Amino acid sequence: MKAWRIILASAGIALLAFGVFRLLSEIPTHSLLILAVWLVAALVLHDALLAPSVVGVGWLLRRYVPDRGRRYLQVALIMIALATVIAVPMIFLRGSQPAAKALLLRNYGANLIVIIGSIAVMSLILYAARVARDRRRPVVHD
Amino acid sequence: MLGIAVGVLFVTGLLSHYQYEPWSWLPEPAKPVWGYRLTQGIHVATGIATVPLLLFKLWTVYPNQFRFPPIRSIKHAVERLSVAILVSTALVQVTTGFLNVLNWYPFPWYFLTVHRFLAYVLVGSVLLHVGVKLPDIAYGLSAKVPEADVLTEIPWSENPESHSNAGTLADPPTPGISRRGMLTAAGAGVGVIILTSVGQTVTPLEPLGLLAPRQWTKGPQGVPVNRTAEQARVMAAATSPTWALDVVGPEPYRLTLADLEPRAVHEARLPVNCVEGWSVGADWRGLSLLEVVLRAGGTADSRIQLISLEQDWGFNHSFMKGPQLSAALLATHLNGQRLDVDHGYPLRLISPNRAGVLNTKWLGRIEVLS
Repeated sequence: MKAWRIILASAGIALLAFGVFRLLSEIPTHSLLILAVWLVAALVLHDALLAPSVVGVGWLLRRYVPDRGRRYLQVALIMIALATVIAVPMIFLRGSQPAAKALLLRNYGANLIVIIGSIAVMSLILYAARVARDRRRPVVHD
Repeated sequence: MLGIAVGVLFVTGLLSHYQYEPWSWLPEPAKPVWGYRLTQGIHVATGIATVPLLLFKLWTVYPNQFRFPPIRSIKHAVERLSVAILVSTALVQVTTGFLNVLNWYPFPWYFLTVHRFLAYVLVGSVLLHVGVKLPDIAYGLSAKVPEADVLTEIPWSENPESHSNAGTLADPPTPGISRRGMLTAAGAGVGVIILTSVGQTVTPLEPLGLLAPRQWTKGPQGVPVNRTAEQARVMAAATSPTWALDVVGPEPYRLTLADLEPRAVHEARLPVNCVEGWSVGADWRGLSLLEVVLRAGGTADSRIQLISLEQDWGFNHSFMKGPQLSAALLATHLNGQRLDVDHGYPLRLISPNRAGVLNTKWLGRIEVLS
């Protein structure tokens, strides 16, 4: 295992250094500075804004949603959040392109609602099935 | 999973860059005709799927940020720095990649160059990270899925050997979603995104494409366009009745509009495959590029340059050599109709296994270079 770790790490460092070197030599300084801002902003936005809000939602779920239903809600919310991340930029950019490009023509807002609705319905069905099963055969909560 | 995705993105990305800058001794093959369609379709579909994969991964490891003390040794500081590089380049790569697919450029740099070299930084930091974490990975893969909950069910402290950054972390106060449940949720979420976006390249799935940026059925003549005649500012030159193609070589000559029709007898079914991840098959008719080159005194081994009427754009010309030259058409017709001006009227290049942007449109000049 140790040999593999050394091989992987050295290859990684070599590729990383190559990438940094080429970026520094091919991108104008002004753009490099803005790229650096993007890289730092990505970390800050994620770690200080996105992740804490997700943790906060998780805390709310734990506090207010009973154990049995929580996991269904969690799965649904995860799926919805992931689809929303992809859909939001397209909702904002819809119609921004010449028609011939056939790009960003759809009604992504309505489509996102369809997707969220389908996920919600599926989760409700699965949760209802779980409740029905528990009623038929009462078990100790796991 | 994320590691595999990054690997796939890197390899398909390099293949795509090779389209732009091939080595002269190894020209792009012409077969399979769907080669680039496949690799670039995979690149963009995987990239879109990587957005949720990445967010999910970061969410699961986020609590590690709050271990105390934040820096335990110089080695640990270096490791955290490498993880910071990994996370920020990954976030920027997938974000700007997705924005490029949407043709939105809220940044000043040239997308292609930064995307290309940032990819080396990302892959390098992933390899480094895998090297550092190899014992943890071996533990994670060998442990049973429901038991090896990353943060709850087996505390790190019970496996001190397996965890290079072991430290104490409190168990969650109440039972939450299990590791299996999280994998299900992430898998299903990514599945929904792929299913609803891949219709832009897997054409039969187009009706399912609730989140697909491109909609091939809405393009002129059933094919979308990435650069319109208006954007390229060639409308007047391309529609001029005095248009002519200059063929430059040992025996130069000129083809007028009237010369095209009798020569446009070659047919081929070839996909248009854009670097931005959409593609669609189409029926083309036109002149054989090889015949045009031979008549100018070139050979099947010549290197040629195809030049558009468009001015002032980096991709207003392309080079061609080898198998693609023999297989390419100078197209006049698309899906049974005379080319739409947005598709490159009066004459454009279309070749198998070639990035869309290199299938030069609105041709005005062909040079036989060697």
